Amino acid sequence: MTYALQVKDLVKRYGDVHAVDGISFDVPTASVFTILGPNGAGKTTTLEMLEGIREPDAGEITMLGKRMLKVSRAAKQHMGVLLQDGGFEPHLKVREILQLFSSFFDRALPVSDILHLVALEEKAAARVKTLSGGQKQRMAIGAALVNDPDLVFFDEPTTGLDPQARRNIWDILSELKSRGKTILLTTHYMEEAEALSDVVCIMDQGKIIAQGSPRELAAGLGEETLIEFRLDDVDAQTLQPLESCCKRIRIDASQVLIETLDLRETMSQLLDWAEKTSKDFHDLRVRQPNLEDVFLSLTGRTLRE
Amino acid sequence: MKDILQLARAHIVTAIRERVTLFWFLIFPVFLLTVLTLIFGQVNQEPTIHFEISLVNEDIASGTDSFSALVESILVQMSMPQPNAETPLFTLHRALHGGSPSFLEAELTALRRGDRAAILVIPEGFHQDILASFAGGGAGLALRLYMSEASITSETAASILEQTLAGINREILVRGGMYDDTESIEAETVWVGQAEDQELPYIDFVLPAIVLMGFFTNGLFGVTGTILFNRDRKVLQRYWVTPVNVPRYLAGFALGHLALCALQFGLLFSLGKFVFGATIGFGDPLTLFLLLLSAVTFMAFGFFISAVSKTANAGMAIANILNMPMMFLSGMFFPIAGLPAFMLAIVYANPVSYLLEGLRRSVGVQAGTLMPAQLTILVPLGWILVSAVVASRKLRWDVER
Repeated sequence: MTYALQVKDLVKRYGDVHAVDGISFDVPTASVFTILGPNGAGKTTTLEMLEGIREPDAGEITMLGKRMLKVSRAAKQHMGVLLQDGGFEPHLKVREILQLFSSFFDRALPVSDILHLVALEEKAAARVKTLSGGQKQRMAIGAALVNDPDLVFFDEPTTGLDPQARRNIWDILSELKSRGKTILLTTHYMEEAEALSDVVCIMDQGKIIAQGSPRELAAGLGEETLIEFRLDDVDAQTLQPLESCCKRIRIDASQVLIETLDLRETMSQLLDWAEKTSKDFHDLRVRQPNLEDVFLSLTGRTLRE
Repeated sequence: MKDILQLARAHIVTAIRERVTLFWFLIFPVFLLTVLTLIFGQVNQEPTIHFEISLVNEDIASGTDSFSALVESILVQMSMPQPNAETPLFTLHRALHGGSPSFLEAELTALRRGDRAAILVIPEGFHQDILASFAGGGAGLALRLYMSEASITSETAASILEQTLAGINREILVRGGMYDDTESIEAETVWVGQAEDQELPYIDFVLPAIVLMGFFTNGLFGVTGTILFNRDRKVLQRYWVTPVNVPRYLAGFALGHLALCALQFGLLFSLGKFVFGATIGFGDPLTLFLLLLSAVTFMAFGFFISAVSKTANAGMAIANILNMPMMFLSGMFFPIAGLPAFMLAIVYANPVSYLLEGLRRSVGVQAGTLMPAQLTILVPLGWILVSAVVASRKLRWDVER
């Protein structure tokens, strides 16, 4: 297997805070590698070091076969970067932005190709300030792709977007993946990581706490099935009669999550209990564990906490 | 190179499309030039209340009770502080023993430099000419008055001197016991500096100042605002993740900024020349160099403010605080010669004063108080150096974490 990017013992400190605390990982070529974690986990700092915005305090980076302590100007010729919240000159037009960014590279795709890739042909003559949030983000992706990069960094590309805009971004990422580009993605959306990633690396408090494909990570939790529902006025005492038929019960406000190895038995007892106590379930759902559950299992917290 | 040109283009296009920038870069200077010219275009005199005047008495040999000595004593009296009176109209510079050719030469140099408003010369034989005129003969009674057309204050001083001469004239007639049939003393005017018999239009006085003001606001607000807002909005951070580095960005930025200044200058010059009839030209190599130096100095000043400001709002606040004092304490709109000492200290630290002085001098429009010519270049260069050092050490190109 070849790797587009290899990171070894990367460290970044801000005063006493270890924003990134000696992490190592390998990103296979032509894959989507996702760093998943809550806000403040160190995802953006990691990416900023790999993008050349910040210098690491320690560690080693091997990018597209070249070892470096910090990202060189030559390496940037082959990189594409979508920042989490970078801005653009609001009075420039979409085409002008793409032309400007094209001029920064030795090799650039035709602007019309980029406009087509990010579906902004109709907005080519529109000024940046008139674009919607989703359109702006697609333009930013276009600006990150003008040089037809081999390695692309996407830092939380769908944060703050509506579901339709988010889906559009996913389509672009899928298209890039089909073209053989290596993508390093950060997100705190579990479903995004599951939908797009070949490899997921879970970060918390500057460290990597788990790594693998979404399926491998979920499988690591065991064979249990999850029963999820909402119940008013619920506490541990209320659900105590059900503890004998399941592995674990978690309560988060009115949200209840029951882990079980015997779905039929647990469901049967749950329905009997509801009948006897006259409790009404809402949004009852039976599902397999996901990355959110993996994170919860590893840290005791949810991704959004 | 294409990246630098594209960055320059982006800077220009953004500035032109942004209404606020467009107003301050182009519309406001044009508006100000128009208003000032329309209001003051008919008034060729500055409201100066104090002059520096020289007296050269070449007729010292006629003695202390001569008419020559009378003229001198009246002028000396007028230049003395009077009890319960305002400051005298003028300070009189004179040689203790009349005036040697070298003294006159030195005073003429001062007049050309703008340090004197006028020079009055009592020619040799003036006393004898008056006596001859009493006897009904003589070749005319003429004092010589040197004026500088390049200085507006010179004309005002000359006008006052002519009124003074009328008074002296009456005094001489009384002393001579004659009330008519006698020649009056006339002042024979000698122009120094500019072409003779040509008044200085107000537009010529104000046009270099407005051009400089435009460059100044471009540098102070345009550069500071663009750099800091682009940093705060993380526009710059988007550039840094590409192969563009700070020197290339700065090259593009500077190119775009200078192009905007050139555009602004072209507009103001066209308006001044073709609408208001300005007679001065800016084609001289020294003038062009000073224009470039001005644009670069004020751009560097914008970098200086950006370097010492944590946010865009803080930078704009500093620019606002500096804007008015630096503009008004430079002699842009009124003479600075009579300012109190503490204000003069600001004037002499202010690079705008030097650039304005140099520019006015190079286009042939001298201001009231002048600095040595070399300082009009050296002081701005010093400011560029200081700004460059501070900016290179302090200016942050990304948002602080």
